Amino acid sequence: MNRQTQTFNELDRVIHEPGRLMIVALLFAVDSCDFLYLQHETEMNKGTLSSHLSRLEEAGYVEVEKTYRGRIPQTLLRLTEDGRKAFQKYRKKLKKAL
Amino acid sequence: MDQVDSLLKRPRAYENIDGVGELNIGFMCLSFALLMWLQVHTPEHSIWNRMYMLFIWVGLMLLASYFGSKAFKKHITYPRTGFVKYRTPDSKWPLIAVMVLASVVATVAAAGAVLAARLHWNMVPALPFGLLIAASYAFGFARTVRWKWAVAASILLGSLAIAALPPELTGTLAHGSWATAMFRAESIGSYLLCALLYGAIFLISGGITFWLYLRHTQAPAEEANEPANADVQ
Repeated sequence: MNRQTQTFNELDRVIHEPGRLMIVALLFAVDSCDFLYLQHETEMNKGTLSSHLSRLEEAGYVEVEKTYRGRIPQTLLRLTEDGRKAFQKYRKKLKKAL
Repeated sequence: MDQVDSLLKRPRAYENIDGVGELNIGFMCLSFALLMWLQVHTPEHSIWNRMYMLFIWVGLMLLASYFGSKAFKKHITYPRTGFVKYRTPDSKWPLIAVMVLASVVATVAAAGAVLAARLHWNMVPALPFGLLIAASYAFGFARTVRWKWAVAASILLGSLAIAALPPELTGTLAHGSWATAMFRAESIGSYLLCALLYGAIFLISGGITFWLYLRHTQAPAEEANEPANADVQ
């Protein structure tokens, strides 16, 4: 196995999935955002976005907070410290692999 | 890798997705033009020419701009395309760099004003402002939205047109004013025209952005911000 293949294999599989990569990259650039913003930016449907977020939450990369905007429920999402570190590591490794 | 980099830039571009940033700047430019007009066309010792009035005016403008954009985002943008809270920089250096840059810009603008007063020349106020504003606009807004390059070009061309106007024409804007004892009438007229031009261009561009935003986004539904999957809830 050459070095490039090895680096690819070492990539974080949770982040490497295109949909989740999009979500993590968007969350990395902000402090927090709501579900609607991610839905608008990623153009995913609610179900797909929710399942990706659940996977990221399971991995401890995303924090979900339920609040209200007036009387309307709002889901706030934030990348955890572990999520930030994992994304930075992922970017470094991807750069190296390419 | 480039796609990841472009994703990282998207939240910044989202800040002006509704045109509120440009509408704000346009409002400020027109407010300055109005204040300048009042200062020039009222007697020297009127309330408009007091130093404290400048601070009150600027303070009111900043408050209106801050609360106006907050309300705009809260009632129009967030319910349609979502809420974003931006990160505060970890280091204070970017803020210090911006403050140093703003001081340099203010010094250059002040030097331009003094030169304009001495040289009787329309070109001096209009050109540095035009270049500066067109460059800032290109950097701040046009990089992310292609059609806004036309706006940057119109700022530059408009400034060139003001610079090329005959001094007698721009001078008529300050004709008979007490201020002409201190500054050349054509320079005052040139500044006034610049503020009006930039204000109008920013308002038009912000208005178009807002119209496009409303056209391409849907009015919010009650459950719009609710994830479908119970796991995320």
